[in-house]
Amino acid sequence: MAWLWTVLSRIRALIAGRQADDDFDREIASHLEMLVDEYRRRGLSPGEARRAALVRFGGPMQLREQHRENSSVPFIETMLQDIRYAFRSLRRYPAFSLVAVATLAVGIGAGTAVFSFVRAVLLRPLPYSRPDELVRIFETNPLRNWTRNIVAPANWADWRARNQVFTDIAAYEQFRQVGSGANEVFLTGFGEPQGLKSIGVTGNFFSVLGASPLLGRTFTDDETYEGKARVVVLSYGLWQSAFGGDPGTLGRTITLSGRTYDVVGIMPQDFFFPGRDVQLWMPVGYTADMISRTRRPHFLGAVARLKPGVALERAKQDMDRIARQLEAEYPDTNTQMGVRLEPLHDSFASEPRTALLMLSGAVGLLFLIVCANIANLQLGRTVNRSRELSIRAALGAGRTRLLRQLLTESVVLSVIGGSLGVGLALATQSVLTTYAASAVPLFAQVGIDRSVLLFALAVSIAAPVIFGTVPALVSSQTGAMSQRVEAGSRETRRLRNLLVGAEIALAVVLVAGAALLVRSLSHLQDVDPGFNREHGVAFTITLPSARYPDAAARIRGFSEIERRLREQPGVQFVGATGTLALRGTTWSGDATIEGRATTDFERELQHSSTTKDYFQAMGIRLLAGRFFEDTDTRETTPVTIVNETLARAYYRNLPADQVIGKRITFGRPTDNAPWNTIVGVVADERQSGLDKPVQPNAYSSIAQRQQNPLTFVIRSAAQPDAVVAAARRTVADVDKDLAVTNITTLRDLVDESMEGHRFRTTLLSGFALIALMLAALGVYGVLAYFVSQRSRELGIRLALGASRGEVWRLVVGEGLKPVVAGGVAGIAGAVALTSLLRTLLFGVETMDATTYGAVFAALAVVAMLACAVPAAKAMRLDPLAVLRDE
Amino acid sequence: MTEPKSDILQGTLDLMVLRTLDVMGPLHGYGLARRIEQISDDVLQLNQGTIYASLLRLQQRRWISASWGVSDNNRKAKFYAITKAGRKQLTAQTENWERISGVIARLLKAER
Repeated sequence: MAWLWTVLSRIRALIAGRQADDDFDREIASHLEMLVDEYRRRGLSPGEARRAALVRFGGPMQLREQHRENSSVPFIETMLQDIRYAFRSLRRYPAFSLVAVATLAVGIGAGTAVFSFVRAVLLRPLPYSRPDELVRIFETNPLRNWTRNIVAPANWADWRARNQVFTDIAAYEQFRQVGSGANEVFLTGFGEPQGLKSIGVTGNFFSVLGASPLLGRTFTDDETYEGKARVVVLSYGLWQSAFGGDPGTLGRTITLSGRTYDVVGIMPQDFFFPGRDVQLWMPVGYTADMISRTRRPHFLGAVARLKPGVALERAKQDMDRIARQLEAEYPDTNTQMGVRLEPLHDSFASEPRTALLMLSGAVGLLFLIVCANIANLQLGRTVNRSRELSIRAALGAGRTRLLRQLLTESVVLSVIGGSLGVGLALATQSVLTTYAASAVPLFAQVGIDRSVLLFALAVSIAAPVIFGTVPALVSSQTGAMSQRVEAGSRETRRLRNLLVGAEIALAVVLVAGAALLVRSLSHLQDVDPGFNREHGVAFTITLPSARYPDAAARIRGFSEIERRLREQPGVQFVGATGTLALRGTTWSGDATIEGRATTDFERELQHSSTTKDYFQAMGIRLLAGRFFEDTDTRETTPVTIVNETLARAYYRNLPADQVIGKRITFGRPTDNAPWNTIVGVVADERQSGLDKPVQPNAYSSIAQRQQNPLTFVIRSAAQPDAVVAAARRTVADVDKDLAVTNITTLRDLVDESMEGHRFRTTLLSGFALIALMLAALGVYGVLAYFVSQRSRELGIRLALGASRGEVWRLVVGEGLKPVVAGGVAGIAGAVALTSLLRTLLFGVETMDATTYGAVFAALAVVAMLACAVPAAKAMRLDPLAVLRDE
Repeated sequence: MTEPKSDILQGTLDLMVLRTLDVMGPLHGYGLARRIEQISDDVLQLNQGTIYASLLRLQQRRWISASWGVSDNNRKAKFYAITKAGRKQLTAQTENWERISGVIARLLKAER
């Protein structure tokens, strides 16, 4: 206990500082007076008494030092002194301090913000036990251009049974490519029907992940199969939002899309799989027979846990062995079917990784520019401060003492800048995360947590080492030997030019990168999505199979909804599709073209069903033939409409109108699928992204090939909000238990598909802009200083008859020296570094001439602006005034 | 913080201060120094300032407390008083001291 009191007391004294010293001085003084009184009483003269008292007491000064040392913490004491001094000195140069703190705040703030994304996506460990052992398994097939395809159930079952490297392999349904691929189910019985994201999983799913429930249990292995109890596990978020966190939810029966399920478990808050949007997990409910027979289609994600000590390479060999066995056993489906393994975390983060690494690199460069800029400003003060430092040196401060003082100033700057930077990052966090919503994968939870703060702190402490060391060394040197000031200043100028050159070079790299992304984005914006994005609204409706049991009932239900929607005022066209453009399609399959050899068939045909007015509602152009008609029914000849790409790819560039009347099947020749007559050719709509190539696509009429859920598209002159509100009412009128989900305007649909591009482009452009401004500030600072130092020389030149134009050229020439050198170095750096951006670009080469032209132009403009002010000042110098001052 | 060779002396002085304050009640630094000198019949000649190191140490450990007051001859002075924790410490240290001095006394006798 006593030691604790001692520590506290010392800290208190540290804070009390001078006040405690005064107190002790008074105490000693009082003591001495009493001693003097004593000696006076003994008859000594006042002088003698005082001398005697001092002898008896011992050295008061020494005592005071000792007392101070023992009562406080001496190391911190001097540091506090340095810090107090640093504040004073920073106040003395407010312009410098303000610029330094502001740029540091921007540099560190940007770094912190980017790091918060990097941390959430790439660094934060996944919330499963020993996540490093988890791998995702994909199918590959060069015949179909598959590099990471989802898995057919029978292949999953065989992998599971035959492998020797995994403790187990789990599977989950991936019916969609949007988001997590989650299914939509509807919770009824709790007010408005609520659309929930649900994922079907195999019984071993949670045990493979090593995830335990917060409450209740997870699934058992045999619950994979149909007929076992219908059970669900809820996410923590759903439990809170829909059930108010009531523990009684466990064991309750809930109705999902018209079927009842028992809630058997609730997962902890940090659990997610595969994305945070998934709200509940239910067993896939397949029959063992269905699993063993289904080698196509492919719709399962597979995740496996490596046995302890098994390397990924070993696992790959084992899986390759199984893939070869399956190829031999099932040539019909598994020809050239390979396997790809990815560590789970890498797999989740594979898409955003490049962009995040690019942004990290960019923000790193920006940070270096900030440091160079501050170092530059500090060097600019060196000469101004040399007097102050000389005095301090003369008063006995050693070089280390001066160095320490100067570095303390840097640290104080950096810590203030860093704190503001964190504030900046916090303030922009919500904007950034909303903006980045679809640029960041669904599993990542971006936020400023402890490790992000630690990062900001580390950077704030590292920064002064980068920007403070050299100026401190230079300053402390000039301080000690003031006669060397002149020589020192020449050295300093060279150093400053070097720094400015480096700033320019780094800025050019950033500007070049940003320019390439901007060009990509504008190319992307110019891509025709294939439909008219104006005046269109889309939303999804799922008919629960409990109440719409067969195809006929569902077709009736959807037609009724479509008919009622069409009656709304302002509505021009209403149509519906199984797969909305730009959202990605999953169902692709084989196709047989009439007249070809039986071994020659097409793979990877995208196939969706639409209602008859779908194309007009989307504004998709008809190139030949006709749209669907009411006369296309289940009883009449199956017909199909194909896209331009299909016509081109399957019919060897036959003109569109000659494709009409040709027949195809949606299957292989051996499948004996029914023939469909091509009745129309339409323009391509982009299926999975403006930057992704269009795939051959065939449409069937809903009447002939039913699909559920359907996405309705309404083309209406009315405001989107009003259209949606009216649509909701209409749908509720038809069936009050139907939910309207995935509501979007077609314009938003297009914009959302570019969000990732736009996000990184905006960030990088912002960084580049700041970099350019800082570099300009650097040029300006050096040049302004040059003019003020050389005003005498310039004055003499003017007096001797130099024209103002010559002076202007002299100054600008001086200013452009580092710009040209830095610009050349920067272009070289940009050429080397932007090749890393290749995968992020669209429609533009990394060596794009236009881009580099624009970079040159931007650099020239900024450099001229930075030079213009000091040059103009030099030009306006009054030779007489200058010479008189000297 | 403290050097081992001065430990005994420091401890001794601390003990003397505690004991004096316990017996005499609140005292200022000068009074304490005078009292210790008198008790030791001026055998212990110390710089009176030395006592402040001990006073600081005892204060930091909360064994004594200090407050400003007025001395007999009307001078402002800081008065020190023993605390409850200080008294407990005094008892413990006194016992300890007696035990050790007993041992040393016996040891010195047996040596002969």
